[in-house]
Amino acid sequence: MIQFRFGSEGDLTAPVDDRLAVGDERVVDFLAKVARKLLAPAVARRHPELGSLGYFLRPAELNRAVSRMRREDAIVFPRGNVFHVPPANVDTIFVYSWALSALAGNHNVVRISSRSAGAADAILDALNEVDADPVIRRTQRMVTYGRDDVLTAALSQWADLRVIWGGDSAVEAIRKHPLRPSARDLTFPDRTSWAAISAAGWRAADPAARRAAVVGFTNDAYWFDQAACSSPRTVFLVGTETADVRAEFIELLLEVVDQRGWQVDAAMAVEKRVNAYGLAATGAVTALDFPANTVTAMSLAAVPDAPRRWIGAGAFPFAEVGSLLDLVPAMNRQDQTFSHFGFAPAELRAFALALAGRGVDRIVPFGSALTFSAIWDGYDLPHEFTRLTTVVAS
Amino acid sequence: MSVFTLPQAVKEEVLLKDLSALVAHHRQRCAPYDRILAANGYEGASSVAELPWLPVRLFKNLELKSIPDDEVFKVLTSSGTTGEVSRIYLDKAAAATQTRQLGATVQSVLGPKRLPMLLVDTKAMLKDRRSFSARGAGVLGMSTFGRDHVWALDNDGHVDLDAIRGFLEKHGDAPFLIFGFTYMVWLHLYEVARDHNLDLANGILIHSGGWKKLVDQAVSPSAFRARLAEVGLVSTHNFYGMVEQIGTIFLEGPSGGSLYCPDFADVIVRDPVTWRELPPGETGLLEVVSTLPTSYPGHVLLTEDLGVVHGIDDGDWPGKRFSVSGRLPRAEARGCSDTYREAA
Repeated sequence: MIQFRFGSEGDLTAPVDDRLAVGDERVVDFLAKVARKLLAPAVARRHPELGSLGYFLRPAELNRAVSRMRREDAIVFPRGNVFHVPPANVDTIFVYSWALSALAGNHNVVRISSRSAGAADAILDALNEVDADPVIRRTQRMVTYGRDDVLTAALSQWADLRVIWGGDSAVEAIRKHPLRPSARDLTFPDRTSWAAISAAGWRAADPAARRAAVVGFTNDAYWFDQAACSSPRTVFLVGTETADVRAEFIELLLEVVDQRGWQVDAAMAVEKRVNAYGLAATGAVTALDFPANTVTAMSLAAVPDAPRRWIGAGAFPFAEVGSLLDLVPAMNRQDQTFSHFGFAPAELRAFALALAGRGVDRIVPFGSALTFSAIWDGYDLPHEFTRLTTVVAS
Repeated sequence: MSVFTLPQAVKEEVLLKDLSALVAHHRQRCAPYDRILAANGYEGASSVAELPWLPVRLFKNLELKSIPDDEVFKVLTSSGTTGEVSRIYLDKAAAATQTRQLGATVQSVLGPKRLPMLLVDTKAMLKDRRSFSARGAGVLGMSTFGRDHVWALDNDGHVDLDAIRGFLEKHGDAPFLIFGFTYMVWLHLYEVARDHNLDLANGILIHSGGWKKLVDQAVSPSAFRARLAEVGLVSTHNFYGMVEQIGTIFLEGPSGGSLYCPDFADVIVRDPVTWRELPPGETGLLEVVSTLPTSYPGHVLLTEDLGVVHGIDDGDWPGKRFSVSGRLPRAEARGCSDTYREAA
């Protein structure tokens, strides 16, 4: 059974006469009104994560995204019909994906998980409360439905672009349904993200800067129980004899987590023990430290032992390396975000050049790991959501 | 004969010595276990509560055994709700010990002789491969302590009144054993006994299997006892145990309300925040210790069950008395790679 969360009810794959343009004023106007709702103090207090979403949807940001779509050498059009399958539990991703696609003038169907709650409901409320041009509801639909292969297959046949978030198994499950020959997939499979601290940079930073770095890192790590694709997990200590840096980092982490009120319940604490003991059992981890339920610290035997699967909320393997370049062989296609503190821009650039696109899509400072941007997972999303027509007169 | 004899202080002295020896035994023979203790910096314990515990779920993720492959005599499995399976490896000696100690434990309430046995279950269940490991193994394990077995349910899972009546006519005048899962006893024996005036006065009920299904029907452990007593079944013993510590069961005493620890086992209630031992009266996570696991490092286990110690050396039998009050929910990731279960 289909539950319509936003947009006109009815056949999702029936042809619609409406046409939207790239950067359509009616869409910009609608998204800007949604942004105002999300930035309202009452909403922001209850769901702080909607603040950055609201910021992303402000007119200035939207116009920047539209200008990225335009180009000199071709006329830009919407890609057509886009079917979005966002992840179940990162409540805000579906909006970023959909908003950019809507801004590109596409007709969208977004399948929202029945398990989504909290922030997702607040967003849907905001969408429904905004006074929109009727064309918005006719072309932009958000639905929730249970396992329904017939509907998923029909939407896959309808789509010119299918956007699949939510990890390898979701991608594989959805890909069982064929697309039309002209259509394609934009996939966001399982990713791993890392953090790195320059020991020299840390030691050179004043106490306030160190603390600010840890505050940023704490937001990155704890926001989605450290399970978002961009959440940093292993922390690489870059330098020599970095034990002092690690000790101070953990001390500050405990303090900040406590002050910010991040909690780890008993079930999560047990989950972390199970996973950490599992790493110790195989020899991947040589020392375990449980200073509090909120923070689990582990010493990796070697860089390649850094786990790519989730250990639990607030679980940090540590490994020391001499330089960022030493990490290059260990990075691969699965690696997404690399958050950093204390490095010179030239070091980061040299690291990116050495990686040569074989892994790591984003290199961002502590505190920005979860900040969504139009370039994501190596894709320039505004371009992905548009198609190009070239005209050569003679 | 009873295995519920040691006062707490004496028991802890014995257990500390025996379990510390087992820690050393397993460290020598099970490399993954040794690596876990080394990573935790374990250097010895001066009390039972200081012994190094393993989360019980580790047996679902890892192969943990302290015997060479060619000495594996039996592999026990338990199916969890998420499809993961614990694998418990026994050699001949461990298999014999667990059977013997389980027998000694139930004989503490049944007496030394095998009693006629009414099984509150269906024989068909043994053929269901999916539910066999959990329910079937329990029934089969316990059935060795009875004789002249009769199944209370037919192959379709309906109450077989004729079979029960036949059993009671033949054996009802002297002590007999009733075994079944708690909710099965409630659903299929209590109501039938009440409606048909069955005489269960000589029965000794041993039951287990969690209270969740009964709590959902608002039946508390004390109500369960009281209602069964109304139909004449006054001798009832709940027990708590798990495949990861096979052979060790914590048995309800004659006056009810509390589970007791056999001489070779104990429980510790831990605060899930500080991980320190909690005093009687405070609810926390249950840790179970037992000297029986020699072929795998399951001698000190942190369960995901919540429980509370009610008293020490102040009940039907010596030692700690406790009850199990619930289960820790499973932690769930909520990240992007948390894929839809309904994805396809």
